[in-house]
Amino acid sequence: MLGTAAGLRAQTNAPILSGGVQFLSSTVGGNTFFQPAIAPVLVVPLGEHWLVESRADLRGFISHENGSTGPYSGQFIASLEYLQLDYIANAHVTVTVGRFLTPFNIYDERFTPFWIRDLQDAPIIFPIGTRTSGSNNGLMFRGVIAARKAWEVNYTAYFSVLSTTENLQSGRTAGGRMGVFFPLAGAEVGVSYQRFLQDVNYNSVGAYFTWQPPPIPLDVRSEYAHSPAGQGYWLEAAYHFSKSRGDTSRLGRLQGVARIQQFFKGTPTPGADLPLVDINRFDFGLNYYLPHDVRVNGSYGRQYSSAGNANVWEAQISYRFLFPALPGVFK
Amino acid sequence: MKITLFAASALALFVVCASVSGQSQAPAPPPAKKQPAAAKSTTADQDQKEGERRFLENCGRCHNPPESISPTEVNAVLRHMRVRAMLSAEDEKLIRKYLAP
Repeated sequence: MLGTAAGLRAQTNAPILSGGVQFLSSTVGGNTFFQPAIAPVLVVPLGEHWLVESRADLRGFISHENGSTGPYSGQFIASLEYLQLDYIANAHVTVTVGRFLTPFNIYDERFTPFWIRDLQDAPIIFPIGTRTSGSNNGLMFRGVIAARKAWEVNYTAYFSVLSTTENLQSGRTAGGRMGVFFPLAGAEVGVSYQRFLQDVNYNSVGAYFTWQPPPIPLDVRSEYAHSPAGQGYWLEAAYHFSKSRGDTSRLGRLQGVARIQQFFKGTPTPGADLPLVDINRFDFGLNYYLPHDVRVNGSYGRQYSSAGNANVWEAQISYRFLFPALPGVFK
Repeated sequence: MKITLFAASALALFVVCASVSGQSQAPAPPPAKKQPAAAKSTTADQDQKEGERRFLENCGRCHNPPESISPTEVNAVLRHMRVRAMLSAEDEKLIRKYLAP
């Protein structure tokens, strides 16, 4: 009886408000800045096939007025990362209209939430394939082309229009991604393509690899990306100090992370948002997953470039929240 | 030279990861817990286990399971992830049984 009641409740289309809050401290080459942030995620299911979902990022940026000296001053930055209407037609096709995260490689769609990513700094090559803002305004198709027990082929394809509206910037682009997931091995490989269609037309291409050996709490992720403005790769490994995934022992909540990345400059391109020098960088970090979806982490990185070498220290505390958006309406 | 050094570092990192995983795999798996003869798995239990497997296989690629989730919230969470992670309708149904049995 209770089970039936719970099952019926589970079928309600109650909207939820989820997301994360954080306080991040970063020291880059001796300059320290702080970023308190909240990223609310709103999800509103509409019937069996429709869904409205949105995520915003509201953050403060507090730093010394003169780099590493002088009084602190702050500015407020707000952005709408996605606001999209999805129609789940069937297992093979979901149609999305609105503003959505650019499906180029995997970092933008999967690891931009600060309560999920293992290291707080985005990879150097993140701007490749995600200009102008990491989000697109337009139309996207995505789904699984075919799935078997040992493999699954997934895809996305999109077109985006130009938008210069504040907080809703988007480039005129077209592109897509195709990946093959091997569930038994816990591995996925894929490729991405984007054609930038405004001002200077150019292509960006990318490839990615992820691996989670099923019995071991190890995550290996990597991306490569190329554009006329530069190319590079990153490789990251994260390991929970336990024998299995989901271990909630004191040691099992601890995760060690390491990432190396390398960037090679190309032809300077307006709006590419990429460094103008070659960069090599490594990072090491520790994440500790406290009860109640609180996480603390710290990392150290060293960056080498002809513009100067720098140490990068980061410390963050974040909390992931989830509750009904309309409490009391859906019970 | 630097490229070679970094490529070598990348390879070393990968090898360390692989060897860590290899070491973890090396010991024989722990013996299955003995189940009382009467406590045979029900269909619901099997669905829940399959839901857990599918959660780890799909959602676990990016994040840990939420610590708690109510039956009222689970439908929206799963619909959200169905689009993001390209879950099938069957994945959605089984993962629901794991997250909010």
